[in-house]
Amino acid sequence: MTETKGCKGYLDEQFVQLEELQDDTNPNFVEEVATLFYRDSARLLAVIEQTMVRNPQDFTKLDNYMHQFKGSCSSIGAKKVKAECTQFREYCKAGSSDGCMRTFQQLKREYSTLKKQLEAYFQLARQVGPRESATRPR
Amino acid sequence: MPVKQRNGDQNDRFPMGLRVLAVDDDPICLRLLETLLRKCQYQVTTTSQAVMALKLLRENKDKFDLVISDVHMPDMDGFKLLELVGLEMDLPVIMLSAYGDTKLVMKAITHGACDYLLKPVRIEELKNIWQHVVRRNKFDSIGRNISNNQENNGCGATDGHGSTETNIYQKNERFGKKEEGPTR
Repeated sequence: MTETKGCKGYLDEQFVQLEELQDDTNPNFVEEVATLFYRDSARLLAVIEQTMVRNPQDFTKLDNYMHQFKGSCSSIGAKKVKAECTQFREYCKAGSSDGCMRTFQQLKREYSTLKKQLEAYFQLARQVGPRESATRPR
Repeated sequence: MPVKQRNGDQNDRFPMGLRVLAVDDDPICLRLLETLLRKCQYQVTTTSQAVMALKLLRENKDKFDLVISDVHMPDMDGFKLLELVGLEMDLPVIMLSAYGDTKLVMKAITHGACDYLLKPVRIEELKNIWQHVVRRNKFDSIGRNISNNQENNGCGATDGHGSTETNIYQKNERFGKKEEGPTR
């Protein structure tokens, strides 16, 4: 699984399971899930960011959103991003807006790093095997 | 008393072709769940809305063997869906959640869930879910035979031995009246 070496540390066994689910009936499964993830989570992150600006003390709401986001991260195996989600929820529990804000910035950094890693991974995968062109995660 | 042929036929074809309705508002989880279930050779229908799931079930209960549903959904609480499915359709329901704390699991089981899976779900766990359907069919069949025998012997249907037996009798009442529609 040389392609995933670049993503090492950023992705966990769940990603491996996604790769294993890819077959002739589902030839672009991993990229499809990754695309779904980035599309859906971008929306959620925007909502979280908005909430932090307008209602930074609404920890219940923030926690709920982050729970959803964490669920999506779990499905794709985004290990580091998921860890930031857990940290964020700890700060929600503690009622710390500062902590939430700091963690959120870190989370966004991990999230974009992962995105770049995945783009590279898919590009490589496309070169390695003949495949129909697919949309990149945005 | 004739043992239900229908159930016998259904059990013969399991686990392949198990007809599952999957409900999750998270599109990534739903897509993943769908793929995993198809890998198990089940027939899968998906919806991201609990309300739609209920609609599908109400229209066509006999089209599904089992329901898998997320606990946290925006349009309806997963526990509410669980209760309604149990009351109206008497289908086995498996709950899914990223949370695994005991209170939640307890709540799910006491509300009637036949299992509780933690996200992200692994294929190994899904490979066994057909057992819940077979088990339920079997208990229904046993309970019905008991109930029929009792009627033949002139005994009352319920005599409150315990909740499990009462449930079987209740299930059989519903089962017996299936063709006439829900009576609860």
